[in-house]
Amino acid sequence: MNRQDAVIAMVLGDAAASPELTAWLATEAGQRTLRAYQRTVAALGSAYGEVTMPDMTMVYYTSMATPIGRVFVAATEAGVTRISFRCSEAAFVAELRRRLGAVVIAESGERLQRAVSQLDAYFGGRRRAFDVAVDWRLATPFQRRVLTATRRVPAGRVVSYGDIAQRIGQPAASRAVGQALGRNPLPILIPCHRVLAGGGGLGGYTGGLDIKRKLLGIEGAEVAGVTSQPG
Amino acid sequence: MRPTFDELFTRHRHEIFAYLMRLLGNEADAQDAAQEVWLRAYRAYARLTPQSNVRAWLYAIATRQGWNAMRRRRRKSAALVYVDGLPAPAGAAWEQQRRWREVVAVVSRLPPKQHAALMQRQFHGLRYDEIATGLGCTPAAARANVYQAIKRLRAALEE
Repeated sequence: MNRQDAVIAMVLGDAAASPELTAWLATEAGQRTLRAYQRTVAALGSAYGEVTMPDMTMVYYTSMATPIGRVFVAATEAGVTRISFRCSEAAFVAELRRRLGAVVIAESGERLQRAVSQLDAYFGGRRRAFDVAVDWRLATPFQRRVLTATRRVPAGRVVSYGDIAQRIGQPAASRAVGQALGRNPLPILIPCHRVLAGGGGLGGYTGGLDIKRKLLGIEGAEVAGVTSQPG
Repeated sequence: MRPTFDELFTRHRHEIFAYLMRLLGNEADAQDAAQEVWLRAYRAYARLTPQSNVRAWLYAIATRQGWNAMRRRRRKSAALVYVDGLPAPAGAAWEQQRRWREVVAVVSRLPPKQHAALMQRQFHGLRYDEIATGLGCTPAAARANVYQAIKRLRAALEE
């Protein structure tokens, strides 16, 4: 190893200085060389020592065929975080990227097996409630209260926006409840389709009223004399 | 016991992102590259032999993706240096700011192997044999790449 390399090895902590190098480092030239490399490594450290780092999340997704068309499901390690339909795979992935920030998105049927098999049984009429973990990161705190209350409405039953407003202790907030349900990140799993307008109308549904009707039909909900209202 | 992929991701996502920042110098490129790195790692992890050095394997994937991103960028804009993700010493003396720019300019023009080896050794504590795995060279050559990079940087800063 030449002298320069030996000094670098010492500065980087790769090797201790030999007696010969130690002697040379005591000379003026040796001192100058050592200080130059120490300054170089320090300058490198101040430029590259700290870098900004977002907190990355791994998100897995898959899709499944259902009576309402292709349904996309995405989950983080914490639980299911987004369900969507009437969209393309590219649009679904783009939405995840836009709304979840720093994520790694990977297709994986295996990761979503539990949610998919439960959804499958639900669409086949063999299951009426879901037992999967949910990651609420796409819901605001208010929305989360609304969705949690909505989750308790059992299959086969329907309630009104006003009922949900009552249940979360904000009886005057029916309109806000409607908006929160309209942006439900987890449709079907959180059954916002079981929430109808006050006057007996179907109310709205982001996926389209035909799908709302279909889901209520699968559940055998008695929604007699339903008149669909847009909105 | 071999860690699950989730454990692997949780354990190494920060350092791999930081490494990509040190290669690419800006968050958007580092994020795109990180997406590719973890996607590839996810797909290949099951096939990795149990006695492999998982960390060195991840750095090898990250290095390849970092280089791909650099090549794509060079095709787009020849001599641009992207440094917005590195914390410029705000409020630092003018002399310090100038020094910082100099360092980044020299490092970002280093031959790719020197750049990668320097960052892995100096900020990520990889051993030369681990660096060698990712660069496809001998440990001695990995060390030579680091030393060459330091000599270049010293020469540029002393000018």
